[in-house]
Amino acid sequence: MREAAVVSQPNPFQRIPGVAIVLVALIVLFGAIAPGFLSAANLSNVLVQSTILTMLALPMTLIIMTEGLDLSMGAVLTLTSLCVAIVSLATQSMLLGLCAGIAVGAAFGTINGWLVAILGIPPFVATLGTLGMAQGLSLIVSDGQSVVGIPHTVRDIYSATLLGIPVPIVMALVTYAAFHGLLYHTRFGSYVFALGGNREALRYAGLSPNRLLIAVYAIGGTMAGIAGLLMTARMNSGHPTAGLGLEFDAIAAVAVGGTSFERGNGWLLGTLLGVIAVGVLRNGLNLISMPSSVQVASVGVLVIVALFLDGLRSRA
Amino acid sequence: MTDITKDALSPPRSFLSQDAIQLFYRLLAVFLICAALAMLNDSFLSLGNILNVLRQASLTFFIASGLTLVVLTAGLDLSVGANVALSACVAGTVIHTTGSPTLGILTGLACGGIVGLLNGVMVTALRIPSFIATYGMLWVLNGLTYWYMAGETLHGFPAGFRQIGSGYLFGLPIPVYLLLVFLGIGTLFAQRTIWGQEIYAIGANPVAARLSGIPVARRLLLVYAVSGTMAGLASIIFLSRLNSAEADIGESLTLPAIAAVLIGGTSLFGGVGTVFGTFIGALILTLVLNGMNLLSVSANWQPLVTGIIVILAVWLDMKTRRRT
Amino acid sequence: MSTALQMAPAPNEVTATPLLELRGISKEFPGVKALDDVSFALYPGEVHMLLGENGAGKSSLMKVLCGAYKADAGEFFHKGEKVTITSTADAQKLGIAVIFQEFSLVPYLDIAQNIFLGREPKGRIPGTIDRRKILADAKRLLDMIGFDIDPSVIVNTLGVAQQQMVEIAKAISQNARILVMDEPTAALSDRETELLFALIARLKADGVSIVYISHRMAEVFSLGDRITVLRDGRRIDGVRPADVTPDQLVRMMVGRTVDMTYPRNFADKPGELLLQVKGLTSSSGISDINIEVRRGEIVGLCGLVGSGRSEVARAIFGADPTTSGEIIFDGKPISGEPDVAARRGIALIPESRKSEGLALLRSVGDNLVVSALRKLFPSGLFDPRSGQRTADGLIRQLRIATPSARQTVGLLSGGNQQKVVIGKWLAAGAKLFIFDEPTRGIDVGAKSEIFALIDRLVAEGAAALMISSEQVEICHVCDRAYVMREGRVAGHLARNELTEENIVRLGMHHA
Repeated sequence: MREAAVVSQPNPFQRIPGVAIVLVALIVLFGAIAPGFLSAANLSNVLVQSTILTMLALPMTLIIMTEGLDLSMGAVLTLTSLCVAIVSLATQSMLLGLCAGIAVGAAFGTINGWLVAILGIPPFVATLGTLGMAQGLSLIVSDGQSVVGIPHTVRDIYSATLLGIPVPIVMALVTYAAFHGLLYHTRFGSYVFALGGNREALRYAGLSPNRLLIAVYAIGGTMAGIAGLLMTARMNSGHPTAGLGLEFDAIAAVAVGGTSFERGNGWLLGTLLGVIAVGVLRNGLNLISMPSSVQVASVGVLVIVALFLDGLRSRA
Repeated sequence: MTDITKDALSPPRSFLSQDAIQLFYRLLAVFLICAALAMLNDSFLSLGNILNVLRQASLTFFIASGLTLVVLTAGLDLSVGANVALSACVAGTVIHTTGSPTLGILTGLACGGIVGLLNGVMVTALRIPSFIATYGMLWVLNGLTYWYMAGETLHGFPAGFRQIGSGYLFGLPIPVYLLLVFLGIGTLFAQRTIWGQEIYAIGANPVAARLSGIPVARRLLLVYAVSGTMAGLASIIFLSRLNSAEADIGESLTLPAIAAVLIGGTSLFGGVGTVFGTFIGALILTLVLNGMNLLSVSANWQPLVTGIIVILAVWLDMKTRRRT
Repeated sequence: MSTALQMAPAPNEVTATPLLELRGISKEFPGVKALDDVSFALYPGEVHMLLGENGAGKSSLMKVLCGAYKADAGEFFHKGEKVTITSTADAQKLGIAVIFQEFSLVPYLDIAQNIFLGREPKGRIPGTIDRRKILADAKRLLDMIGFDIDPSVIVNTLGVAQQQMVEIAKAISQNARILVMDEPTAALSDRETELLFALIARLKADGVSIVYISHRMAEVFSLGDRITVLRDGRRIDGVRPADVTPDQLVRMMVGRTVDMTYPRNFADKPGELLLQVKGLTSSSGISDINIEVRRGEIVGLCGLVGSGRSEVARAIFGADPTTSGEIIFDGKPISGEPDVAARRGIALIPESRKSEGLALLRSVGDNLVVSALRKLFPSGLFDPRSGQRTADGLIRQLRIATPSARQTVGLLSGGNQQKVVIGKWLAAGAKLFIFDEPTRGIDVGAKSEIFALIDRLVAEGAAALMISSEQVEICHVCDRAYVMREGRVAGHLARNELTEENIVRLGMHHA
């Protein structure tokens, strides 16, 4: 029999180098070649622009930890953003708009969870189907047009500051704190680890993996609803294609951040750094006048490399 | 999988008749949709509309037929739509610069094939799950296409080239002939070659296939390359039909292609399905969308309906499989 | 290993009531009687060794005990009271816990969270975990079992032995009084084994009873208070270690009843060398394997489950990558993926027919021709009718009981499924057949047919390498056999030395 020496896997903090190296390398690179990249205004801009992604990537981390995936997130964000715009336009109330966005997002998340957990449809196909549904609904409710003239209370959220910090960043930080608490300090968080790591252990402990799984996807939808408010505020309108493809940046951030697609190994701080890395990459390419198409392609390459490395790691 | 043997005492059923029943249901669906549409709208049965449906279905079918082979191996290719866009733009540029449609067609096919081959390499050599590898590829291709086109639109191709997509022969659109040809080739490849048989075996049980001496990695490479090449072919038809190429033409193509494959009875879990089924699937989907169009339902409803159809198709497939 | 551990004396079983008693337990599976009227008593604070060959019924007994299997007949008594165990929940309520070889732990949670999964102490904010309490509780438990480790360590960073300790702590935290361990030292180093033994001693002292399945003689004698020997699903004897010698135990374990004679025409002279394996080593855990197989021979490959037999088969077939060594087949070296081996004429009939041998949803005919496609259709064009003819021929030749070649293969019986797996290699014209447990889950009649088939194959100039846990079969059918132990070839037995006793002796751990 093989000698069972204590095999020490890198603990989460030994992972920091992975993402951090990518991040530092990108910052150094763009600091050198992109004019104005290191200016305070630009860096703050990078962070503010990363806030919506943060709100998608954090729940995406939980979903990926359960060996799942949510391809519908960008389309659902688009839909919730439209809902925020339409409802706040009709009622002149930002709060009602937000509630509508959250309700729609949560509904989609629950449907995703139900399809995956109860019907047992593979996550990528189930959420591909709901992606189409959300996209279709976006076109239907907006009739393919932008929703403009939303109340300024909504728009102001994006530019307002709290104690000198832009409100979107405050929201992102609060979200991060909430997810950190949820994942690492609650029973639910422990069960999320178990959903991907060892579902049998949950059944053995008398818990229902299906209900937990639905909850995880529902959280993803809910966060897409909250992010919908920021999206509407940022664009000062609702637009039927505004958030399409954002789920890809979210998946990229999670993958680069070192969350494994197997065995329930998630790391929220890594995701946060991954979000910033994606933000820096896009911003830097933008500053050196690369079109957004090149940004998309580079993020694509980033994901494939990260996944390949993840595969190597889990096989090692 | 193991549940199947528990059923050993149930009366033996021949697999062929099962297939026949499934096919019958689908043909019935085609008939019912046609009947319903004919009743609801007079113009449905017009020759022009029927030819339009067939031409429309042929576009979906070209993409979906290659995808069928991928799904037969229990994989998925989410990059087909983006592949069509890139191939169309590259082929269009070649035709514009060289003036030679032949060269353009070859470039388009090659471009599609190479993308497919890259997908295959990611799936076999890098062992990235197919849906995520091809999803990454989707965005890489999207980015490349937009960068390459830089917002431009390619217009105006030689008349001869445009015949491929919009011409008629003996009263039928040329894409319909192409559809019949590739339906034949696809069916022959899947049913009457040893590679086709091996692809079914891989999808039904990849471990057993490998231990039966099938070179699984090489066959998967072939399958993804074929899927990519078919996307390349679709891009040519697209190009000649629209007489223009833009970076965003692929965005609405992937979901319908996947829907056609799944409605056609090809199982997402591999090993079950036919190219002919996919043709029927493409027909059903096109009829539904065409019907919505005739009933003046806004095109904005199409993604919603397609999404619901995808989920329903997978769910039905899982239900029938659970019963067997 | 000769760890002289200070074990508490075994309780006096005349005066004590058994903590758990099983009477007349029977369990039958289609074609196999897994347990036949087995009685078994477990006293408080004892280590009860369960001994037997592969397939003697140890695992079945264990599964009945923990509620995973429902016994067909028999009674359970807990502290003298009659109880029923029909589910794992029943067993849990009675304080029975199984320490599985594959752990039930969540890899990226810490030790404390794993121990109390689903039973976390509640924190002040609803939904949160009282971190301080969970760590303190876990620490107390770990101290109790003498495992000195920080409970906030992530389980994934632990070694196998330490994970086993956490499993045990988890069981204890659920008030388990009976621990069932299935070869717990199989994956442990010597030092880790000592730690485990020390823990067992401490648990014993606390009155916890342990059912311990082992193949290592040294453990049986150093650890056991009593030994129950099973054979053919029957209880053969219950003894105390002091009253027996290892040789006597081996004799009790072997001597399975032969349910029939297997047909075999032994060749007078083995044919030419077909397969030569030299110093084969692979990362799957086998090292320095040297094996030869000649035409006309059936060569046995035996040893305990987990000794590396299947790994040798897979390495020869190219299914597992090899790190060093050489395989020479039919005079030429061979390496690469299974498709290379298959083309050269090697066939593998894998142990798990259903998951590795067949595409269950496809037809009998499809499965029969899958390996022979290239041979039957050299042009690359597949002709269903000709494929069907080949399949029909094989169905007749092998007498596969199926309504037609179109029948779904998953609906056939085990024996007929096995014939389909063999048939596909006949069609491919294989020269060397590697059988991994060819008769598992197959009824008696089909077994004899399969052996007749193998005999005919080798008589016609092919060769067979046969892995089997059924030592009777090896002894009756094989020309000679290699015995494996811990990933190496422990010995070779010629025809005249081929007895069950010799196989067990070579295959067991004596050190």
